[in-house]
Amino acid sequence: MSNDIKTQVVVLGAGPGGYSAAFRAADLGLDVVLVESRETLGGVCLNVGCIPSKALLHVAKVIDDAAEMASHGVTFGKPEIDLDKIRSWKESVIGQLTGGLGGMSKARKVKTVTGFGKFTSDKSIEVEGADGKTTITFDNAIIACGSSVIDLPFIPNDDPRVIDSTGALELKDVPEEMLVLGGGIIGLEMGTVYNALGSNVSVVEFADQLVPAADKDIVQIYTKYNKKKFNMMLSTKVVAVDAKDDGLYVTFEGKNAPEGQVRYDKILVAVGRKPNGHLVAADKAGVNVDERGFINVSNELRTNVNHIFAIGDVVGQPMLAHKAVHEAHVAAEVIAGKKHVFDPRCIPSIAYTDPEMAWVGVTEREAKEQGLNIEVANFPWAASGRAIASARTEGKTKMIFEKETGRVLGGAIVGINAGEMLGEICLAVEMGADAEDVGLTIHAHPTLNESIGLAAEIFEGSITDLPNPKAVKKKK
Amino acid sequence: MSDVQKILVPDVGGDEVEVIEICVAVGDTLEADEGIVTVETDKASMDIPAPNAGELISLSVNVGDKIKEGDLIGEMKAAGATEEPASEAPAEQDSAPAPESKPEPAAETPEPAASSGSEVIDVVVPDIGEDGEVDVIDVLIAVGDEIAEEDGLITLETDKATMDVPSSHAGIVKEVLVSTGDKVKQGSLVIKLETNSGAPAAIEQPAAPAPVSEEPKAAPAPAAKKPAPVPHHPSSGKTTKGNIYTSPSIRRIAREFGVDLTLVKGSGNKGRILKEDVQSYVKYELSRPKANAGSSVASGEGGLQVVASKPVDFAKFGEIEEKPLSRIQKISGPFLHRNWVTIPHVTQFDEADITDVEAFRKEQNVVCEKQQLGFKITPLVFIMKAAADALRAFPVFNSSLSEDGESLILKKYCNIGVAVDTPNGLVVPVVRDVDKKGIHELSRELLEISKKARDGKLTANDMQGGCFTISSLGGIGGTAFTPIVNAPEVAILGVSKSEMKPKWNGSEFIPRLMLPLSMSYDHRVIDGAIAARFTVHLASVMSDIRKLIL
Repeated sequence: MSNDIKTQVVVLGAGPGGYSAAFRAADLGLDVVLVESRETLGGVCLNVGCIPSKALLHVAKVIDDAAEMASHGVTFGKPEIDLDKIRSWKESVIGQLTGGLGGMSKARKVKTVTGFGKFTSDKSIEVEGADGKTTITFDNAIIACGSSVIDLPFIPNDDPRVIDSTGALELKDVPEEMLVLGGGIIGLEMGTVYNALGSNVSVVEFADQLVPAADKDIVQIYTKYNKKKFNMMLSTKVVAVDAKDDGLYVTFEGKNAPEGQVRYDKILVAVGRKPNGHLVAADKAGVNVDERGFINVSNELRTNVNHIFAIGDVVGQPMLAHKAVHEAHVAAEVIAGKKHVFDPRCIPSIAYTDPEMAWVGVTEREAKEQGLNIEVANFPWAASGRAIASARTEGKTKMIFEKETGRVLGGAIVGINAGEMLGEICLAVEMGADAEDVGLTIHAHPTLNESIGLAAEIFEGSITDLPNPKAVKKKK
Repeated sequence: MSDVQKILVPDVGGDEVEVIEICVAVGDTLEADEGIVTVETDKASMDIPAPNAGELISLSVNVGDKIKEGDLIGEMKAAGATEEPASEAPAEQDSAPAPESKPEPAAETPEPAASSGSEVIDVVVPDIGEDGEVDVIDVLIAVGDEIAEEDGLITLETDKATMDVPSSHAGIVKEVLVSTGDKVKQGSLVIKLETNSGAPAAIEQPAAPAPVSEEPKAAPAPAAKKPAPVPHHPSSGKTTKGNIYTSPSIRRIAREFGVDLTLVKGSGNKGRILKEDVQSYVKYELSRPKANAGSSVASGEGGLQVVASKPVDFAKFGEIEEKPLSRIQKISGPFLHRNWVTIPHVTQFDEADITDVEAFRKEQNVVCEKQQLGFKITPLVFIMKAAADALRAFPVFNSSLSEDGESLILKKYCNIGVAVDTPNGLVVPVVRDVDKKGIHELSRELLEISKKARDGKLTANDMQGGCFTISSLGGIGGTAFTPIVNAPEVAILGVSKSEMKPKWNGSEFIPRLMLPLSMSYDHRVIDGAIAARFTVHLASVMSDIRKLIL
């Protein structure tokens, strides 16, 4: 059965970028078709990424917190873990969100075509679905085909004991010995989950620090806190994996490599994601895709073909849902005739680990590389009443100011709930706020969030919750 | 041993001239020919150069003084005659492992107090009575200069006046942070100065309100115009708009109106750009006079303040007939008008002796006829070749002003437009690569294109890409006329009717066939002297076309 559709806008991919583009375009009065290979909307993020991992991290946090309580006088029994129940709870979280998206899509009269879409010309896309082919003729297209996990060649990827983030979220079992290959955000988040569920987790990272994009001092706090939880092997790489019946035998090389082969029950490969630019036959539409699979776009999100746009992971780093959503809005608005561009001053990054690490704007290292004249203000959580009361004083809040003007250029937080606090710094950067603005904003007490205001006070020299290095020096 | 030399005013081509600027300070080490003072005559301003290299030890004039030839400007010590270290430094450094080509400024100048608390301070632009940014039109000092307090550092130009920014301290210039063409405002950093007294740096510095950022603010093309497909991989932390102090919503509004936020002055707290600032900027821009719109220069204020002409009832005075303008007249009229009022025209007249070239041409036409080539060689073809040669020799004639009027675009190709009178009106088809084509080829092409023009079959493409235009009325008559420059070209050659004239050859009058040339040019781009040279060159090539192959 063949089906022909004509539309003003077709969106290829229904991840956070794709569905946001489709909904925004529909809300601006355009006729929209959304093409998605999955049965549900939401893409990797909702189905096998951000959201299910947060559900499992919530489980992990409660397990860890309960154990932690023993030292404060409340002892729970050893947790009984029912994997099937955890899994179905996680599925219900996904179901609730994807179901909601489906409903919103219908309400907006966005037509959804299920199947894998590929360009056949610069005006048409063919979708291979379960019930036949659909040909979509369009005036404008938005490519939102996302990214997929990078496989490593020297690893037996067919072995069911080698999993990627999707496999890890399936939660088939809790392995005794687990190796996480890659010390980035995804690897550490999944490592946190499996550790809480009872696995012995080892992390191997080629760089000399975990989460290499973040500042060293932030990651160091995380590393120190988790020293006992994870076996961390930095500046080390895996060179061979030997799959035997009783386990996966891994050979390492590098600074912290253990000698000989080490046996693991499972290996989680989390070394990054690659763009899916090559999967949509973009060449048929004349859209340039670079050799890595990225599609270059203008600040209006246009590709080299004027009426074809691209957004999200496929247009470049950082591969983050919130970046995709904002790009999606701009692309839809440009198609609707608005003179908008994507020009954020900052895009936040968050590792939902324990403790969380969150940063935005310039990092201290980037500032140094760019030759910016900055002043850094650190507020250690050991001085925060709320952190002490929560028994989590390892954290800190760091603000990066332009020295001369006091303008907020960036910031980083490590500690519990760091991710939830980051928004204030994002807003400060976008608004061009300075230390005085942030410091004079009354932050509620006692909160972890007030550490941002207090860091600004350190810069301003008005801090009273800590010794003040900028205080007037009195003569004795 | 010091050889003190008096610096006197040289021939300045006038009686008295006024000193409008002192470019150096006592103690400066000068290069030979480096300007000492700038004087202004009623025609131009000029620098009076140092006669030799050396150190300036006294200055006897002040800004505003009137000086004339022979007056004393100052005294200098010739370089080499003293312990001037600059020339000796390399020798002393022989033993140094890596002698630098440029000696460090610190080593260059003997600095007695340097060891005792010398300090590098920032010298910034003081209150200049201007709210916005002003242009730096001159930098008066260089790294290594020793300057005194109040010495001029840079010259600024506001719409009211030019002024020098004085140094707040004496010392040695360590770093110059502005250059000619930069825009600065109060608080902008001008130089880093090593003081010899150890003056406290921070106190003297006026609280600088956000120094001018290093971003290239002068970028003329408003980025809003074309969505150039810039490859873009936004990474967190990169600020796309530099230091513009405003919020995302205002950036979006500015984008929608095509407003370059670097040009908008913020009225909010600490100079923050508010929505109202963008709105009033747009309002102001829209209310500016449109008279210059479309001119090749950035439109300024003012426009043509002329009274409207009153309608006249011509029928009152006799019989009339009303006839609509031709299509070409309607189209070309506004352009001619614009070019006439926006380009400062000067017309240079000259004559070319074409006696020999005419004889040659007639001979060749006999040959052409014999060989049945199907065309005749006209005098115009030789004029085109001569013009192409002159354009090569004087490239400024083969140029256009950039859209913003800030630079000159020189063309490496030579396409010449030829004004053709047709029944429908004047058209200017363009003959391409005149410099590369022979007389025969050009003649054939000219014949074709003129026919096309008369038949009204010229395409837009045929009339584009000209570098220079020739308008020949020689076939009709007249001794001279003032053609209008065909913008964006910068010059046009008018040719009138040639005439036999008596010419003095040193012993007798001989009859020579003289061709009158009238060349109009854009005086913003071309100076009078070079225009005269251009026409002389052209006439000289015409008088002996063998020069074409030189």
